[in-house]
Amino acid sequence: MNTDGTIHARAIRKSFGPKLVLKDVDLDIASGEVCCIIGPSGSGKSTLLRCINGLETVDSGVLKVNGENLGYYETETAYHRLNKKKIAEQRTRIGMVFQQFNLFPNMTAQENVMAGPVLVKGAEKGAAARQAHELLASVGLSGFGDYYPAQLSGGQQQRVAVARSLAMDPEIMLFDEPTSALDPEKVGEVLAVMKDLARKGMTMVVVTHEMGFAREVADSLIFMDDGCIVERGDAREILRSPKERRTQSFLEKVL
Amino acid sequence: MGILFSVSTNPNFKWHVVARYFTHETIIRGLMLTIFLTVASMVFGTLLGLVLAIMRSSSTKPIAATAGVYINLFRGTPVLVQLIFWFNVAALYPNLSIGIPFTGISTAVDVNALIAPITAALIGLTLNEAAYMAEIIRGGFAAVGKGQIEAADSLGMSGAMKMRKVIIPQAMPSIIPATGNQVIGMFKETSLVSVLGVAELLQSAQLIYARTYETIPLLIVASLWYLVMTLLLSYPQAQLEKKYSRATSLIPRKAKKVVLTAPEGIAR
Repeated sequence: MNTDGTIHARAIRKSFGPKLVLKDVDLDIASGEVCCIIGPSGSGKSTLLRCINGLETVDSGVLKVNGENLGYYETETAYHRLNKKKIAEQRTRIGMVFQQFNLFPNMTAQENVMAGPVLVKGAEKGAAARQAHELLASVGLSGFGDYYPAQLSGGQQQRVAVARSLAMDPEIMLFDEPTSALDPEKVGEVLAVMKDLARKGMTMVVVTHEMGFAREVADSLIFMDDGCIVERGDAREILRSPKERRTQSFLEKVL
Repeated sequence: MGILFSVSTNPNFKWHVVARYFTHETIIRGLMLTIFLTVASMVFGTLLGLVLAIMRSSSTKPIAATAGVYINLFRGTPVLVQLIFWFNVAALYPNLSIGIPFTGISTAVDVNALIAPITAALIGLTLNEAAYMAEIIRGGFAAVGKGQIEAADSLGMSGAMKMRKVIIPQAMPSIIPATGNQVIGMFKETSLVSVLGVAELLQSAQLIYARTYETIPLLIVASLWYLVMTLLLSYPQAQLEKKYSRATSLIPRKAKKVVLTAPEGIAR
């Protein structure tokens, strides 16, 4: 297994029915980079994230994640679709955190974190339990292992979800509006976990409305509108003095 | 009131005959067979229904279509007709030969002997029930949120693993109460197989009154047993429904009580 942690996209297109959601998007994320994607709803930012994870397949374009073509293998003349097992394997190296947490409600916090290693990687249960224990502690939830998701607050659930993704030891972590479904006072605890992760050098792509987080943690910032990347660059610089008109008007409203 | 009075005083009801035959050996044997048919056809019907439900949710079109045709066919024709059909299936294939392909080893089977009335009853009820259970199970699958499946996908779970660990456990709350209803329905539906001459509860009663001409009292005996059994079944059914109702299913029953200690531990 190589430890790459890069994302390269060239001219990716995605449409749902007649609606073109991604219009020839290019993207380059370096290993260890923290990239925030901002933009109005319906701008295609979540779809872009879901493509990187393989939850959506792109219609055309090249998408390389961790140095490999996602979902395809390349021969000299053509691209061929990978089999399901290979695709699943690629996915284990990309962690995904959802807006609605999506913890498995039939499993405890600890079982949720163990689900990936035990069920997918076939890890030994004792070792997986120890790892889950450590991960829960690292997101500030030691002692919550026996709680079911319904017994936890939104912020706690989201932190368990982060731990669940980390248990697969991914090279890249994707966050799809991780704090949008939380009470305002619980947002901080999830952002703190994400900051910690960024400091450890994880490659992160974060779709967010938290401009404070973007300013403080992100290396780069992408502003998307109507399926296109309108502006990209250093996060602090864009937030301070956006160049494009569209970015300016968006930031005026949210800041 | 008038009806009640008439029912208890009209001598034609012959309540003493009802009492005499209520625990008659033939009746009890018939009741046992009814219970057996109910349990067996529910078990096999549920298993086959699960297979059909998985097929129907398949992304491979022909597989999903096959299950769809099966479900529509068996739900769209009367179960009584189906039962008579399976009873007479030997007319279509009088001799089946069961063998190992390309070896020449085979045995001819007389289908008439193979499809005894009870077998026909069991096949008919099972195949019919499978169609209904398939729809119930599929409804349960559909109730599992899309986000759950995406979460399982993002962890790299295979299709079978997703089904076993994520979808089925979460679909249970909506499947189990509906299945309880099906059991109660099936218990009464077994009376239809009396037309095949299977000596279940109704047929046992019929056998007796054919001899004694005490038609009404024996029908009352059979009805009382159906009533008693459905009432007995509706208690666990109601319990199941309560247990798996939406409001309480958020927290699994084996979950510990939350004790609020750390300020962090405030559960919603």
